[in-house]
Amino acid sequence: MSIKVTSKEMVQELLDNYDNFLFDCDGVIWLDTTLLPKVLETLDMLRALGKRLIFVTNNSTKTRDEFVAKFASFGLKINREDVFGSSYASAIFAKDILKLPQDQKIWIVGDKGLEKEFKEAGYKTIGGTKMPELDEPLDLKNKDDPIYHLDPQVGAAVVGMDTKINYHRLAVTLQYLLKPNVVYIATNIDSTYPANGMVLPGEGTLVQAAAYCSQKKPYSCGKPSKSLIDVIVKTHGIDKNRSIMIGDNLNTDMKFGLDNGLETMLVMTGIGSEEALNALEETKQPTYFADKLGDLYELMESR
Amino acid sequence: MSTKITGKQQVEDLLNKYDNFLFDCDGVIWLDNALLPYVIETLQMLRSHGKQLIFVTNNSTKSRDDYVDKFAKFGLTILKKEVFGSAYASAIYAKNIIKLPTEKKIWIMGGKGLEVEFNEAGYQTLGGSSMPELDKELDLSDSNDPINKIDPAVGAVVVGLDTHMNYHRLAVTLQYLRNPEVVYIATNIDATYPANGIILPGAGSVVDSASSCSQRTPVSCGKPSKGMMDAIVEAHGIDKSRSIMVGDRLNTDMKFGSSNGLDTLLVLTGIETEEAMRALDQSSQPTYYAAKLGDLFELHH
Repeated sequence: MSIKVTSKEMVQELLDNYDNFLFDCDGVIWLDTTLLPKVLETLDMLRALGKRLIFVTNNSTKTRDEFVAKFASFGLKINREDVFGSSYASAIFAKDILKLPQDQKIWIVGDKGLEKEFKEAGYKTIGGTKMPELDEPLDLKNKDDPIYHLDPQVGAAVVGMDTKINYHRLAVTLQYLLKPNVVYIATNIDSTYPANGMVLPGEGTLVQAAAYCSQKKPYSCGKPSKSLIDVIVKTHGIDKNRSIMIGDNLNTDMKFGLDNGLETMLVMTGIGSEEALNALEETKQPTYFADKLGDLYELMESR
Repeated sequence: MSTKITGKQQVEDLLNKYDNFLFDCDGVIWLDNALLPYVIETLQMLRSHGKQLIFVTNNSTKSRDDYVDKFAKFGLTILKKEVFGSAYASAIYAKNIIKLPTEKKIWIMGGKGLEVEFNEAGYQTLGGSSMPELDKELDLSDSNDPINKIDPAVGAVVVGLDTHMNYHRLAVTLQYLRNPEVVYIATNIDATYPANGIILPGAGSVVDSASSCSQRTPVSCGKPSKGMMDAIVEAHGIDKSRSIMVGDRLNTDMKFGSSNGLDTLLVLTGIETEEAMRALDQSSQPTYYAAKLGDLFELHH
């Protein structure tokens, strides 16, 4: 049964039990471009107590440097090694886990952030933001259409968030995925994400469309995948028994913790709700839950 | 065990056994814009034997009138009521089966054919080819963006093959699908289709993206659905035991026939191969198969 964090003693218990605090960002640290209440104070408090802070986000549009800049704009200094976006996770997966040779090119459905992370990992990317001709409708009668000029050196197709996704890009991606030697990598499989009070199609929707027409299943690199926790453990040498994952999304954040041996805390400032939490069977419930991350600071300061 | 049509006697058997011949179009009658060999002669032979011809296609981008025109260009006169496209099947489903009131509007993610068929069924359609603003990028901060102007009169979302599909259209479609009272209809769920020697994403892929973000499953109206067969039987009063479905695709055409009580004939001029067919277990094999539809004429003469 999930325990609600409502007292100073309970916060002290968290501080005693965990050295490493892993945080989702959207709906936990900030909501769109607004910092959530008392988050900075909470993170400063944890840092002052010697806790390690790691940020794990399925947002595939930003590079780690861009996340560092976003944190800085809120007044929090972090290092690029402390943040794991799904684009970085995908590039590391290709390089260190699949060991895709660096002379193989990457076909990208996604934005600049995804291209930059793969470039930094040593790969040459095609597609992505570099082919404005794909903005035009597919023209089978045009011999110069990219669909007729596939690059034989492509070794992987990577799909992330792409607000320029269209039929033409999907059709070309399908051609690459139909090649048996091309590996299919998804940055993450969130089917939607919240923005401006609305729900919008997520990476998972694009990933699924490409998987459906190609019949090829992707490797998914973001939460809740095991490969992501492996990368984090490898980078920081953390003890999973003394680590806790804090997030707002049951399907990604909480599952990430549950499937990979981390304790979990659900906060209600994002997509999760107490109703959805109570609807889960006991074994799937997060270890703790709280109204907001900032409660950890407020409760410690109380009395 | 599927019987290969290789001789005059077998063609005679077909002519004796079946009054109604249902045909898929792509890969059976034509391939892209090229008529397949001896198709006209075969269809004329069937007509002269008093057979009813019905054309059943999952292509949702064309209306029935478009098909009549396409056949006319190949030199064959057919009647509008002899064509059942998945766009028409979807409109009939909305109107006659779920009886969606005609004051409800239809949000379309698909081509003109779909809009024409729903208009003919008496519905006003939104989206589809009538909103070029959806070709631009989604802009949540623009109060005029269609995503900020969701029409409460929409009673159904219909998704078919949309070669103009993009993130913006998908995002707006998602908003409509999030209303549980809005009905979700798919013209068909073919994952891919062949064109110009390559394989392209089919309606099923567009449908799947909408299903994935909305976490909803549509009613699918094209082959192999029962709804499409019911619509054909109702329109033509055919006796299913004297009807045969001729097609090139196992999981749509052949399944359409076999799961709806028709015998089937697979032709190898489209997407399937003899190997793929033989690999099926006996009960899933088509009743007959032939190298091409035109063999019925060639073998008979």
